[in-house]
Amino acid sequence: MLALLAQQVPDFVRPDIDWHAAAPELTLLTFGALVTMMDIVWLEKGRKLTSIVASIGLLATMVPIITLAVDGADRSMFGGAFVVDDYALIMKAVFILTGYVVILLSTNYIAEGDYWENEYYGLLLSSILGMILMASARDLITIFVALELLSIPAYMLATWRKRDLKSNEAGMKYYLMGVFASAIMLYGMSLLYGGSGSTLLTDINESISGPGDPSAVVVLGIIFVIVGFAFKVSAVPFHTWAPDTYEGAPTPITAFLSVASKAAGFVALMNMLFVGFFGRDDVYEPVIWILAALSMTVGNLIALRQTNMVRLLAYSGVAQAGYMLAPLAVAGDVPDSALAATVGYLVIYAAMNLGAFAVVIAVARKTRTAEIDDYRGLFHWAPGLTVAMTVFLFALAGIPPLGGWWAKFRIMGAVIEANTAAGVVMGIFVAVNSVIALYYYARIGVKMWAEPAPDDDTAPVRVPVSLTSALVLTAAATIAFGVLPGLVGEVTKVSLLAGVGG
Amino acid sequence: MTEVVVFCVAAALALVGALGVVVSKNPVHSALFLIQTLMGVAVLFVLQEAHFLAAVQVVVYAGAIVILFLFVIMLLGVDKAEDFAVEPIAGQRPLAAVVGGALLAIGLTVMVVAVDGSTGTSATFDPQTGQPAETALDSIGADGQPITDIERIGRVLFSDYALAFEITAALLTIAVIGAVVLTRTVSRGERLDDLEPASFDLPPVAPHDNQPDHDSAGESGA
Repeated sequence: MLALLAQQVPDFVRPDIDWHAAAPELTLLTFGALVTMMDIVWLEKGRKLTSIVASIGLLATMVPIITLAVDGADRSMFGGAFVVDDYALIMKAVFILTGYVVILLSTNYIAEGDYWENEYYGLLLSSILGMILMASARDLITIFVALELLSIPAYMLATWRKRDLKSNEAGMKYYLMGVFASAIMLYGMSLLYGGSGSTLLTDINESISGPGDPSAVVVLGIIFVIVGFAFKVSAVPFHTWAPDTYEGAPTPITAFLSVASKAAGFVALMNMLFVGFFGRDDVYEPVIWILAALSMTVGNLIALRQTNMVRLLAYSGVAQAGYMLAPLAVAGDVPDSALAATVGYLVIYAAMNLGAFAVVIAVARKTRTAEIDDYRGLFHWAPGLTVAMTVFLFALAGIPPLGGWWAKFRIMGAVIEANTAAGVVMGIFVAVNSVIALYYYARIGVKMWAEPAPDDDTAPVRVPVSLTSALVLTAAATIAFGVLPGLVGEVTKVSLLAGVGG
Repeated sequence: MTEVVVFCVAAALALVGALGVVVSKNPVHSALFLIQTLMGVAVLFVLQEAHFLAAVQVVVYAGAIVILFLFVIMLLGVDKAEDFAVEPIAGQRPLAAVVGGALLAIGLTVMVVAVDGSTGTSATFDPQTGQPAETALDSIGADGQPITDIERIGRVLFSDYALAFEITAALLTIAVIGAVVLTRTVSRGERLDDLEPASFDLPPVAPHDNQPDHDSAGESGA
């Protein structure tokens, strides 16, 4: 029977599969399936092990990433739909390490909070799988499927505290807005496919770039695709889901959404801009410019009036997305600096924002809220957490010698290097907004250090080991990136343009 | 000529159906209008000689998925009328109408008025020469027989798009697992009750944590 079938289709060529290049994805997939099935077999005993197995899975996934990085060769599969290069490997490592810290944050929260456990870690791993695929995806269909693979588990994780109305609201809002964004993006992708006749980004680039004005279809396609990813990175005016979702979701998932999910949106956007739309900067630069300027200004101004720490970090995250978009607004003029600046910012942002959320989770173990007023007098009952929080907040504000300043410095460098009016104005936007942001970050610092604790309640808080290790890891990374800026500069010296072939 | 007539009828069917989905007040009617749209699209597929896709469209979408929608609507209760008269946010609907109208206008302008034709450079024509370009797969197989669209889809799915195909498989599995967890009503709290009381000295530590009165369906909270 099989022989007969094979005879009928004699000229089918099995696609070449480079197993080494696909090893990170396959490892993570294996562990994701293992985690999901563990407590079917071992029941209660398995539940205690799930977080450990999940974190081992992530560390195991780092092994092929490192061997691929040592090997150094650019690999490509499926006609260029799946590419492994330096840029993809760096982003994969960022996603895996972010996921590892999120598991550290989750361990006690999920175990003590009466939530489903092994499904939680299974969904978390599959979302990370979507992200590492996204880093390699260079084809519209692969990008879209990877986006869904990272989003759909995230929608469900946002509503994991399902007996709480706020968490239901969080999941529902995130889901509806996310699906809406996917639909817009898919429409844009179909226009691009219609305009170029290929789903491969390199082919699309060949077809739409070049001298002369772009066709109207291509313009609309590019704008819709950018709008779709703007939802994902929560850029103004597509940020409305972020504060409510962040507030209602379990806090470790909030950290995951604000770091990993946002980074995945940026990765996809950069794949699009630097491979697919490269040469069409006359179309995408104005769109990104407007998104960047609006995001940082609106995000920072609304953050000034927040009374809840998680909502404040949500709006601060909107503003940070604006900073990360800023170099992309000059991506056509100085592609290498713009790419390096955004990738560098993503790496540093992951460390400092995860750290801030780790402190929020630790403090909430005692106060059980995230109101900023409960941070008054934090120094009197949790000096270690106070120092850590100060480090993360000042890093987010961009104060030397912490990680954030170097990230901002490179962004300023890229927009100034572009030497265009738009770039210089964007630089002014970044500078003014950094000052606004300093105000609300510093206000929390004053509350923590200088004000007395409410009701003179100075009972210390017990911070479990996993949370402490997350704090140490992120604080060390935040400080190291600031003191040794060459570190991140060396790591993120990547070029995506090699893939375009000139 | 026949092609144009069939196209116009099918496209009109699809558009009227789409409008019906949004406009009709009864969700069952919406679902039925959706079938009309999907059927219209299926006819358009036939017109493009994508017979397999047309069949899949009818069997999977019109057949299975809309029936599933109808099941859900019936289970949730068709008789529960939503009150559409009240706007949750003042001015929301006029604004939505304006934005929707603007988007439609932009779309139509791009599609109809654009100087370079409806879809820009055609996929099957080389932009420089205007001659038909080589497609990824020759339409004549090795044995001299024309390749059917089923074979084409199969080839593409298991060669160029094998990766996306496999990811989709993982995605569907994960979606099912998540849906089961989210809809399951047995409380973990019941199992936690068997544990030592000492395990409760660290309560759930979420910001704004749930109070017992938020518990749905009378579940006993931890």
